[in-house]
Parts: sequence; C-alpha cells; structure tokens
Amino acid sequence: MADVKRDPRRRRAAVAVLAALVVACAALAFTKPPMAQVERSISAELIEGAGNSYNLTGHNYLIFNIARGRNIKSAATDTYIGIAGSVLPMNSGAAKPIANVLFWIPPLLGGTRITVALTMVSVFAGVIASVFLALGKISKFPPLSAACRAYIFFFRGTPLLMQLFFIYYALPDIIPSLTINNKFLAAFIAFALNSAAYCAEIIRAAIQSIDKGQSEASRALGLSGAQTMRLVIIPQSVRRLIPPVANEFIMVLKDASLVSIIALTDLTQMTRSISSSAGNALVYVPAMVIYLVITAFFSFVFNKLETRFSVYQ
Amino acid sequence: MSLLRTENLSKSFGELKVLNSVSISVEQGEVVCIIGPSGAGKSTFLRSLNQIEQITSGKIFIDDELFLHRENNTTVSSAQPAEYKRLLLEMGMVFQSFNLFPHKTALENIMLAPMHVKRLGRGEARSLARDLLGQVGLSDKADEYPARLSGGQQQRVAIARALAMQPKIMLFDEPTSALDPELVGEVLGVMRGLADSGMTMLVVTHEMSFAREAAVRIIFMCDGDIAEESEPDQMFTNPRNPRTRQFLNSIL
Repeated sequence: MADVKRDPRRRRAAVAVLAALVVACAALAFTKPPMAQVERSISAELIEGAGNSYNLTGHNYLIFNIARGRNIKSAATDTYIGIAGSVLPMNSGAAKPIANVLFWIPPLLGGTRITVALTMVSVFAGVIASVFLALGKISKFPPLSAACRAYIFFFRGTPLLMQLFFIYYALPDIIPSLTINNKFLAAFIAFALNSAAYCAEIIRAAIQSIDKGQSEASRALGLSGAQTMRLVIIPQSVRRLIPPVANEFIMVLKDASLVSIIALTDLTQMTRSISSSAGNALVYVPAMVIYLVITAFFSFVFNKLETRFSVYQ
Repeated sequence: MSLLRTENLSKSFGELKVLNSVSISVEQGEVVCIIGPSGAGKSTFLRSLNQIEQITSGKIFIDDELFLHRENNTTVSSAQPAEYKRLLLEMGMVFQSFNLFPHKTALENIMLAPMHVKRLGRGEARSLARDLLGQVGLSDKADEYPARLSGGQQQRVAIARALAMQPKIMLFDEPTSALDPELVGEVLGVMRGLADSGMTMLVVTHEMSFAREAAVRIIFMCDGDIAEESEPDQMFTNPRNPRTRQFLNSIL
C-alpha cells in the first residue's frame, strides 16, 4: 500500500485497473436480460401457479438483475439472478444465501442513505455550531462563557438516546408548539445539538493548543483579537481538528442506529426488520459490511483532508 | 526628543517583582542594547512596552506622547483608542522564537498585517513584502512555508514582517538566542544593515560583539533594575558596577 503511494507509476497502474473495473461493471449493468427471458427461466412449479399467483420483482442493481418469484399456493420461492444478459437460477446450495444477500442489498442501501445523510448533516451542523460554542466558552465575558459551559455540560452529561426521545416525544407533550412531525428532522436536531457539544470541546482544545507566540506576534503587528482568531489561530487549528472530528463522525455514524427509537428506518433498523420478516439472521452480515465500508470510506476522506491541510508542515 | 521613554516602569507577577521602576529613554536613530543575566527582566521589559505584558505601574511615552500610565495594576490614563493603536504600531517586535505564522508563506507572513491592519490592497502589500524580502536577502524564498526555512531565514522573514508595518522603533527580544551558531551571523548582518539605515532599535541580546559594535548605549539589567547604563567602550573595558563586571567576566 505504502509502495503504491510512493511510486507514481504503480499508482497510475492501480488507478487504471480500478477504472477498467468500473467500466466493465457499468457495461454489465446495462446488459439487462429481457423480462420475457426471466419468465421463461422460472421453474415450472411457479409458472403453474399462473396469472397473478406469483409476482416477479426486477431490480437493476450494479451488475445484477434479481428476479424473485413466489407461488402463492405452494409458498415456494424462486430466485434468479440476471447477469451479463443471461439468467441464473439461485435456488439451491451456496447460491441461495448469496441470492438472499444480493436481494437484501437494495433495501439495506435505502437504510444506509438515512444513516449517512443523518450523520453528515448532523456533524456538519454540529461543527459549525461548535465553533461558536468553543469561542463562547473561552470568552472573557462570564455570562456567555457560563451559558456555553452549561450547554456542553448538559449535552455531554445526558444520554443521546434520551435527548432524541425527549425532542421527539417529550417536548411536544410539554410544549405543543414544538412538535416535530418529521422524524428525520427530529433526529437531525438531536444529533446536531449533541455533536455540537462534543465538537466544542475538540475545537476549544485545538485552539488552546496553538502556541502563545502566535497571538503575541499577531498583537505586536496590530491585529485585533477577532482578526487573530480568524486569520491566525483558527486556520492553524483546522489540521489538529481533523482527527478528533473524524472520530466524532464515526461515533455519530454508529450512534445513528439509535433513531430506531423514533421508528426512523436507518441501516440498523432496516436490518432488524428484514431479519424478522425474512426469518433470516444472515442479513446482519451484509449490514455490518456496509458499516465497515462507510467507515473506511470516511476515514480515507478525513486522512486525505488532513494531508491537504498539512502542506505547510 | 525621545522616541521611546519609560518612567518607573514596574511589573509584578503576583508576589514576584520582575521589573522594579525601570526608566529609560531612546532617541531617534539610536541603537540601544540591553544585556544582563537570565531572569533579569530584560524580555519582560521589552514585552511590557508593546503590551504583550501588562505593566503594574509606570508610564510609557512614545514620540513624547503619553501612551500609557498605570498605577496599582489599573490604567490611570492612556492615549485615545485610535492614537493608542497608532503609537502601538510605531513599535515593531522580533521574537526569540520567530513566531512566524506556519500556515502562511514567507510572503504572506509579511503581507498579513499591512492588508488587515493598514487596509493595503493585495497588490500593494505584495510589492511591499517583496521589497522587504529583498532587503533581508530572501527574495528567492517568497513562496516557502516557514517550516522549510532555516532558523536564520525564519528570523529574517520575521524582521521583514515587523518592518512591513513601518515602525519607528524595532524591539528585538533575543533575536539570535534560538539559532544554531552558524546562523547567528546572517541575522546580525540584517540587524546591522537596519542600524546603518538609521532605524531606532532596542535590542535584548547575548551577542556582546554585536552590542559592542552596533550600540550607542548599553543597558545592563539585573534583578529587574537597570544596574548600569553606559557607552559600549566604557561598559566593556571599565564597568563601574561590580555586578556588571561579574556578569561580563562570566560570559567573555
């Protein structure tokens, strides 16, 4: 891995292979077997049910076309996978769990969208708010500093699950005008408020870790306190912020599974509902793989960001 | 007419008295060096002048105008805000640890204050910065970040950065103490050039040869007090105060 990074030629080769793979997948995805061919391949047992007694689902996902038929009379299920223009039955042996996993992927990705979207908007809003919280906390104006301290104390000192519950269920009971009907919005508010408290501590620590000589030099040059913050201290803090913010991001990504309490269907909730309706616990495996892929992806992005902000080091 | 004058400047950190009624006066065009053992209050004195440290009591005059008067840790009177800022900016400061902004290139370090404090346009600030980099002999390092520069180069950029605000007096706080011995010369060279061009300078230093050559007066500080103030020849050949003699013997 390190070698690939260092050697530009090997790196270019790696990129080329990856690009070729993507192109091949795209090409395969567009060669979709016609529905008639899918129907022809379906077992006689299912066909006998005739008419509407079985239904066919055609998904077009990546390189796979998945057809699943269910005979209402015999409750038999057949699964077929269309790949590269042909239809393969996936009814027995090792093919069956593979077909199951492939079949679950689209709904799991639906849940993933909620998880990732919630995490991204919450941490983004949280980081923005936390800059003000951190500056408020280290300000020399006692009421402001105390208010920020109290906010951070409250949101770090109570469980996120309870905060979420409070915002969605308890708050409308106490103050009816604060009813939030949109579950995603309620979850976003709870997660952003919570994340702001954690990020504020991260940002405060980063700001205070900048050498005192920097603000002394700024003052000697006539910069105001606000200018010193904006032009000198905060730009230098950004790089130090990235690793702990990345950590916070991954924590929130996993904490997002708490939204099942307000019946929002994130990845975890979707996994649970598939598992119980299909009666198959195997669905947890692809779900965890999806979590790992997202975590790996964002770790990579944050690493890149850190490198970008380190140019002057 | 004195460019910078202090009257009975005192500074305590809690119980610890660091400066004990220090009075000095620096005339236009003078180079004054402050020497003395560590812990004598030399740096604190310099930092008290441009308000990095808040003095406990005393008066500071700049250009014969009252800049600040404090007693018992409270400000009795000071120049009006706009005037205060103008007078503050008549002092440029060079630090022992350079304190360059690591996220800005050499050129950007110099441009920052002229752009944001003096409201100079980017182009104007850039040409000013290029001139100053040329003056300290670093034209070819304009786009380097401080981490890529040697200590001596960083300190020269720091001098250019301070000069960019066109101060009337330059304060140097042990500008060569953090440098490797072979890099001291280039910084002293720039400082000599500055002195030759008529810049008023107040220099805290351990470089006795520089003090001897460049200074018109030398102040020997000890225990927060001025123990002796005289011309270089007098100071180095025939110091009056026994403590000066002891200090010079220990380092020469």
